[in-house]
Amino acid sequence: MDIKTNTLESVETRIQKAIDKAHASQDKLNAVVSFIDPCEQIENLKAIDKSAPLYGVPMALKDNINTKGILTTASSRILDNYVPVYDATIVKKLQQAGAISIAKASMDELGMGGTNKNAYRGEVHNAWDTSRISGGSSGGSAVLVASGVVPFAIGTDTGDSVRKPAAFNGVIGMKPTYGRISRYGIIPYASSLDHVGYFTTAIEDAALLLEVLAGRDDQDMTSSYRKVETYASNINADISGKKIAIIDNVQEGVEDSEIKANFQALMDKLVARGAIVEHIRFQDNLMQALFPTYYILANAEATANHSNLDGIRFGMREDGESVEDVMIHSRTKGFSSYVRKRFVAGSYSLFVENQEKVFRKAQKVRRLIVEEVQKTLDNYDVIIASASGNIAPLSENSADEALSNESMVTENHMIIGNFGGFPSITIPTGFVKGMPIAINMSANAFDEQVLFNIGKAIEEETKLKGNDSEVKA
Amino acid sequence: MNYETVIGIEIHCELKTKTKMFSSAPTSFGEVANTCVNEIDLGHPGTLPCVNKEAVRLALLAATALKCEIDPLIKFDRKNYYYSDLPKGFQITQQFHPIGSGGNISIDTPNGKKNIRINRMHMEEDTAKQFHSDAGTLIDFNRAGTPLVEIVSEPDIRSGAEAMAYVEKLRALLYYLGVSDVKMEEGSMRCDVNVSLREVGTQKLGTKTEVKNLNSISNVQKAIDAEVARQSALLDQGERVIQATRRYDETQKTTVLMRKKEGDVDYKFFPEPNIPPILLSDAWIKEIQDGMEELPDERKERYQSQFALNDYDADVLVANRELSNFFDEVCLHTKNYKKAANWTIVEVIAALNKANIKIADNPCNPVYLAVMINMVDNGEISGKQAKEVFEEIMLGKDPQKVVEEKGMKQMSDSSELLTLVTSVLDNNPQSIEDFKNGKDRAVGFLVGQVMKASKGQANPAMTNKLIAEELKKR
Repeated sequence: MDIKTNTLESVETRIQKAIDKAHASQDKLNAVVSFIDPCEQIENLKAIDKSAPLYGVPMALKDNINTKGILTTASSRILDNYVPVYDATIVKKLQQAGAISIAKASMDELGMGGTNKNAYRGEVHNAWDTSRISGGSSGGSAVLVASGVVPFAIGTDTGDSVRKPAAFNGVIGMKPTYGRISRYGIIPYASSLDHVGYFTTAIEDAALLLEVLAGRDDQDMTSSYRKVETYASNINADISGKKIAIIDNVQEGVEDSEIKANFQALMDKLVARGAIVEHIRFQDNLMQALFPTYYILANAEATANHSNLDGIRFGMREDGESVEDVMIHSRTKGFSSYVRKRFVAGSYSLFVENQEKVFRKAQKVRRLIVEEVQKTLDNYDVIIASASGNIAPLSENSADEALSNESMVTENHMIIGNFGGFPSITIPTGFVKGMPIAINMSANAFDEQVLFNIGKAIEEETKLKGNDSEVKA
Repeated sequence: MNYETVIGIEIHCELKTKTKMFSSAPTSFGEVANTCVNEIDLGHPGTLPCVNKEAVRLALLAATALKCEIDPLIKFDRKNYYYSDLPKGFQITQQFHPIGSGGNISIDTPNGKKNIRINRMHMEEDTAKQFHSDAGTLIDFNRAGTPLVEIVSEPDIRSGAEAMAYVEKLRALLYYLGVSDVKMEEGSMRCDVNVSLREVGTQKLGTKTEVKNLNSISNVQKAIDAEVARQSALLDQGERVIQATRRYDETQKTTVLMRKKEGDVDYKFFPEPNIPPILLSDAWIKEIQDGMEELPDERKERYQSQFALNDYDADVLVANRELSNFFDEVCLHTKNYKKAANWTIVEVIAALNKANIKIADNPCNPVYLAVMINMVDNGEISGKQAKEVFEEIMLGKDPQKVVEEKGMKQMSDSSELLTLVTSVLDNNPQSIEDFKNGKDRAVGFLVGQVMKASKGQANPAMTNKLIAEELKKR
């Protein structure tokens, strides 16, 4: 379902349909943390021009996006009663564009995880096969779009938290350049890696959404002053002469023959359209270092970012003899052991005696990786690879802790986009064993347009525009 | 034994900005608790810091005045620790790249001028204020996020008196620059002193204690003197000084243990990822430095060389920025600097004290005071009349109008005066007789009569001269 679906119906009907559908599939998917009563938002539409780009379009927000007066838990127990006192900048932008949020979508606790099994209100299930994981951390948002509840949903992406669940659920997952979309009001994971991203079923929608969401925000010093382009009307599927680099290190790790064949067939089609497709290879040691480097940096920042969750001013409070005890008890009970483990790892890397050889070293490696990738992007329009070497794993077989060394590069390469802040998009390319598969492309900073252009060509080839799954209640 | 005292001082100063260091909430003092806060100050999830440009400007001024080397690339770091007065669980500070480093200031000591080196000066945010009671702890977040600079001296200070001079000097500097209110009693300037002793002639530093939260300048000296006495008594008895944080107890006049320091706390400093490094342009830095107000030392020097004021007068004026600014204004309109200084230091202060008005709210127009001084110098009014006029000036009135209204204008026209003198002499033949018989007092009587006849407006000097001349003629 894309943004233009159901536009002939009244806003009320359209929104009610989305809410009904979300409720109907909730038992199966568990994608929603809280449903939002849309009445006030629909009332507020009166003040908005009917030509607004998202007028009356239902949407879902990941539950780490602050909504004033509406429960926002980040799927963590410690925030399970947290009602924000302010709206995130993007919430205001979406409201001005006429969008109606109908649900806060489940996620891995505080964005930490890639399965969406680590959520306080329970696991989220894949829209195509509920015995499989949705992927995470923006699993709820991905699933709500993939199951046709809403035409778009907002997520966040620190390692691949939009782009991986997009791949597993057969929808488009877009993460623009770092600084393109304001992060003000987004409950963070790791500030230097966090991006706002989103899910759609059509490239045009992805381009349109960026026009709505992007732009300088004085409340986010890392947001860019760069002019927002008219991405949607600029879309041009003529990709002749575009230079595309296949990341060999990633593709070598793809073992599934059907996924390999699908990828190759797509590349052939792009060549047939006049694109120049070549193979490149990043230094293997740098690619091997992607995940460990990410783990150190993300968790170091996270341990500080979440030090505000102490039970003193908001959130869950567990009593204690002293103020210090209140903090200790609240944090012990408020976070899952999985999250606490990440805090310990983050703190460890920041200790004075470790900082040089762990945290600072990881920062240097990050820079080396970005320089390595930039060298390629200096000569190519995009780098491309399979978004995952597999279809979404069965829930029973997947845990965030268990990462096999063999799939280290293939399953973590999208971190490149977060390290360098490069714009990056996941686009579904077909099905294997009834489950969606996808490619991922990244481009130079602020060249989102080339992703939309090549993405449009891919969409024309796959004919998967607007595709979603019928989830039976 | 003979000990040398070694003191280093850390000073936290609240910057005088309208809004907080990283949020747009207003800064405040004495407002109702938790009314000057927003989601950023409370450390709510998802909030991001935004650097206050005015705070950077003020910090830049302070660093320049302290003769620090300025780092034009502004960077911030996180200092991580859990405490209920620290909403985010970290403080944003400048650990790795302070805006200023390696400065110095000169203080006056009984042995002459002494240079105290400044190690560093950096920007950071203040914490919330806590009130502990049996019923629990109350937290006021109004102060949370207030911009601060921390100024760290090298251990160059050798006595409580020097420490006091250092703090006083720093206070005057920051006050002059308009950087801070520097009110120690209100906490807008806070002072922590590190004190250690070592045997005279040795180089190795002794174990130090930190005395915190001294709430007045005189307490800086008292606390240090008490701590030095305590430490030397310990050492004399062959005991060790234990590294600890202490506070000064005013009633006991001694320092009291707050907590022992067992190893350094690891604050896990790392760069603040939400604030990209900000490169200050050379032009902006220069603009700020060029617009910097004259500092107290320079001002005193100018008063002595240009206005020929004595040491005492210059000191009294410079000690108060508003008074000194007032004096400078007066001097723009009169050349009698000495008189301008006298009127300012003696009469203006006395009048303000009497009316219980702060110097900052001085109702006296400096131009009027200058005009009045000139009127006296030109003989338009007498010194005695000036005192009366001055009272009106202190109510904001124009001296020329006052003189006119009260008919005070001094009679300095010689022909007009001569008429008066002639008539007085004509009416007092006895006095002329007395004068001729050598009674000089008669002159005084005659002058008095002229004054009376002129309703006090006759210029006394001219009257004296005219009477003397006219008497000779008779």
